[in-house]
Amino acid sequence: MQPRRIILCYRKLLDAQAVHPWDKLVVSDSYRELRLQAQYFNPQNQYRTFGELLYHVPAAERLHGLVGGAVVGYLRQLNGLVPDVADNLGRRFLKFENFRFELINSDLHDPSQHRVAINFFTEPLFWHESIPPFLLVSTTEPEATSGEQLTHLLQLQPFLSIHALLPSAP
Amino acid sequence: MERKHFLKSLFAGAITAPALLTACGKDDVTPSSTTTTTTTGGTTTTSSGSCTVIPTETEGPYPTHTPSSYVRSDIREDRTGYALTIKINVTNTAANCAALSGALVDIWHCDKDGNYSEYASGLTNVHFLRGRQTTDTNGQVTFTSIFPGWYQGRATHIHVHIFTSSGTSLKIAQIAFPEGTGSAVLAVNGYSKGLTGYTYYTKDNIFNDDSTGSEIATVTGTTTDGFVLTITLPVAA
Repeated sequence: MQPRRIILCYRKLLDAQAVHPWDKLVVSDSYRELRLQAQYFNPQNQYRTFGELLYHVPAAERLHGLVGGAVVGYLRQLNGLVPDVADNLGRRFLKFENFRFELINSDLHDPSQHRVAINFFTEPLFWHESIPPFLLVSTTEPEATSGEQLTHLLQLQPFLSIHALLPSAP
Repeated sequence: MERKHFLKSLFAGAITAPALLTACGKDDVTPSSTTTTTTTGGTTTTSSGSCTVIPTETEGPYPTHTPSSYVRSDIREDRTGYALTIKINVTNTAANCAALSGALVDIWHCDKDGNYSEYASGLTNVHFLRGRQTTDTNGQVTFTSIFPGWYQGRATHIHVHIFTSSGTSLKIAQIAFPEGTGSAVLAVNGYSKGLTGYTYYTKDNIFNDDSTGSEIATVTGTTTDGFVLTITLPVAA
């Protein structure tokens, strides 16, 4: 039977408590961009938290995309490899092209309240079977001559999910 | 060795061994819903399980501070259309209309089909037709773009948002295009859409209250050679 093809999503949360240099830059630059962009939806400076702003100005929903656009430079520095998530050998192996940036909450006057998430969507994987708590997956096709297919054991963990199933090859 | 010492050491082994065996039991690694997110980047995973493998490999990336992806002069990305150079001059009404340098100028507009870029979802697309420049000593910024298209209900326009160098908003405005005989708007003719159903400046609900025409830019050029738009925008800085 053909293995299912799946796309995983890893949701990386970042906030003012971040320690790693990359994380800190994404947090600070996205905060700076939010403070610039929010003024378009909040010209009277009436609202202070992102939650408030969204509630009163539904158009501010666009801020997720607008602020996310500013940190694409940092995402490119990952060289297409999803951060943090390792296989059972301790190696990161999940590749991504697509992502979705989210503003979780923020305070235009208090950077310590700034919280964002980046959703990384992996390239399609072959999902052979589950060996709890692991998924047995492959990123590549079987080798043409030998039929051998390299696999990874990936542990199910918080903030990692199967995002989509792809139709099986005919 | 004396027998009692030997027996003691056996017991010690017997007590500790089972603990080791259960440490990586199935039950320990069920993802829990009350997770603390340890977002410390490349060397830890967000996990409540005691046995999730953490990445053990060369640490990285070592990022350098990168300016916002919007800071660019060429905002076209993959959009096609007639070439348009946009030159904006910012002056300060609080300083006798002297040039205002160091101001951030954001512009954005629709593509030839009237669409705006929305979400950045891929590594190669940021936001088409959106960019940011800082005014030079002459108060000027220049962008390389394409002539905008149009969409239902609005005349051709470019959005602009001017900030101080520290990011405080100074002005949110829209730049209008001349539409008389021989104008660029008529020459471009809405690209493949034509101009049927187009909302002209005087009927546009954003522009129709501007009797001085101060929001209308000067546009020169041709479809073959490309167009140049110039406008001066005064702000109170």
